[in-house]
Amino acid sequence: MILRNFIAWIGKLIITGIENVGEVVMIFIRTLRYVPHAYKHPNLIVKQMVEIGVSSIPLLFVTSIFTGMVATIQAEFQFRDLVADKFVGTAACKMILIELGPILSALVLAGRVGSALAAEIGSMREKEELDAYTVLGLDPYRYLAMPRFLAFMTMVPCLTIISNCLALIGGWIVCVLALDITTYTYYTGMQYLFQTMDLFAGVIKSFIFGTIIFVLGFYHGLNAGAGARGVGVATMNVVVASCLMILIADFFMAALLFQ
Amino acid sequence: MPNVKINPDDVMIELRGLKKSFGRQDVLLDVNLDIRRGETMVIIGQSGGGKSVILKHMIGLLQPDHGTVTVDGVTISSPDFFDTHTIRRKMGMLFQMGALFDSMDTGENIAFALREHHPELSEKQIQETVTEKLKMINLVPEFRTKMPSELSGGMRKRVALARAIALNPEILLYDEPTTGLDPITSDVINDLILDMQSKLGVTSVVVTHDMVSAFKVADRIAMLYKGRIIEVGTVEEIKNTTNPFVHQFITGQRKISVEEEQN
Repeated sequence: MILRNFIAWIGKLIITGIENVGEVVMIFIRTLRYVPHAYKHPNLIVKQMVEIGVSSIPLLFVTSIFTGMVATIQAEFQFRDLVADKFVGTAACKMILIELGPILSALVLAGRVGSALAAEIGSMREKEELDAYTVLGLDPYRYLAMPRFLAFMTMVPCLTIISNCLALIGGWIVCVLALDITTYTYYTGMQYLFQTMDLFAGVIKSFIFGTIIFVLGFYHGLNAGAGARGVGVATMNVVVASCLMILIADFFMAALLFQ
Repeated sequence: MPNVKINPDDVMIELRGLKKSFGRQDVLLDVNLDIRRGETMVIIGQSGGGKSVILKHMIGLLQPDHGTVTVDGVTISSPDFFDTHTIRRKMGMLFQMGALFDSMDTGENIAFALREHHPELSEKQIQETVTEKLKMINLVPEFRTKMPSELSGGMRKRVALARAIALNPEILLYDEPTTGLDPITSDVINDLILDMQSKLGVTSVVVTHDMVSAFKVADRIAMLYKGRIIEVGTVEEIKNTTNPFVHQFITGQRKISVEEEQN
C-alpha cells in the first residue's frame, strides 16, 4: 500500500512537472506569435524598456562597480608574487566579460524585474484585468506578454554590456587607488588574451537569461494563488526558479560556447 | 421594471445541460436557460453558487465540461469553434471589481479597445466616442484624465461600464454590479443598466444577490440553486413564488420550514 502510494506520488510529480514545462513552453510560443506585430505597439514596448532597463541601472551600477572591485582585488591578492601585475587586468577582464557580468546582471534582474513581473501579472489576474483584455477581444499575450518579452530581449543584453563596463571601471578604480597598478598596466592586461568571443558569449548568454526571467515571471504571475499571499509566493517562486535556471543554463552554455 | 418589447421566441443566449466542475467541486450540474433578445435577465443565487461561472461560459472565458452555450445562433462551446473574437465583439462585460487597467487613465481605458479594433478611426473620432460614452454614464469629459486609483468603487464600475459599451455590444453581462456599493450608488448603477437597455437595446444578463437591484432591473429572474436553475419568471412571478428555496432567498430568511423543504 505504501509502495503503491509512493509510486502514485512519483507519477503525479512527473505529470505535474511535464504539465508545468508544457505551460511554460506554450507561454513562450504564444508570445513569439505576436512578435511580428511589435511595430504596431511601440509605446507599450518602450514603456516596458524603461521600466525593465532604465529603472534597473542604479541598482546595476552599484552591484557592478563593487563586483568589479572585489574581483580585481581578489585577483591581485591571489596572484601577488606569482605573476606580473598586468595579469590582474587580464584575470578581471576574463572573469567579468565571460561570467560575472552576465550572471550578475541576470541575477539582479531576476530579483528586481522578474519578481515585479510576476507580482504585476498575478495582481492583474486577481483583479480580473486579464479576463477584461480577453473579453474586449484583446489577447493578453499581444498586449502584455509580447512588449515585456521584447523589452527583456533588448534590455537584458544592454544591461549586461553596461554591467561589464561598470565592473571593469570598478576594477580600474581599485587598481589605481588601492593596488598601485597603473592605468596603462591594467589596460594592457585587459587586452592580453582578450578574444571577441569573450564579449559575445556574455551577450549571447544574456539573451537566454532574459528569456528565462520573462517566461518564468509570466508563468508564475499567471499561476499566482489568490490574495496577497498568493502573489507573494509567486514572486518568491519566480526569483528562486529564475536563479536556479540561470545558473543551470550558464553551465550548459559555458560547455557549448567554450568547448 | 423596464418597458421594452421582447419577442419570447427570439432567443439570444441559450444554455443547455451545462455542467462544470473545478477539481472535485461540481459547480454547475445541469443549467438550462434561454435569454431573449433585448431582455434583462437577472440570475440570482447564493454566493459561490456558480452565477459568475455561468456568465464566464456565456462569453467564452470558460468552457463547459458538458452541455452547450449558444450565442446569437452560434454554438461557442463547441471544440471546433475558434472564432471567439467575433462573438466577443458582440458582448461587453462589467466585472465585479470593474477590472479597469490600472496603468491607463479613464480615457485610455475606454479608448484602448476602440483604438485596437478600429485603426481606421482618427484620434479626434476616438476622443469624441470616449466623451459620448462618458456622457452615457453621466460623467463629464474632464473625467478622462483620472487614474483608476483615484476613483471610488461606484465610479470604477461606471467607467468599466463605459469601457464595456465602447464597442457598441449587443449583449452586456454584469457580474455583481452593485456589490460593495452603498444603496444610493447601487441605484445609480441600476438606472444605468436600465438606460443601457432602453438607449442601446442591448440584451443584458445581470448576476447578483442584491434583490433590490434584481427587482428593479429585471425583465425576468432565474434562480440558481445547487448547480441548477430551479425557477425562471418575471419579477411578479418570482415575488409570488411557491418554491420554498426561491422564497427563502428573496426574503432573506436563514432557514426554511421543514414542511416547505419536504415539499
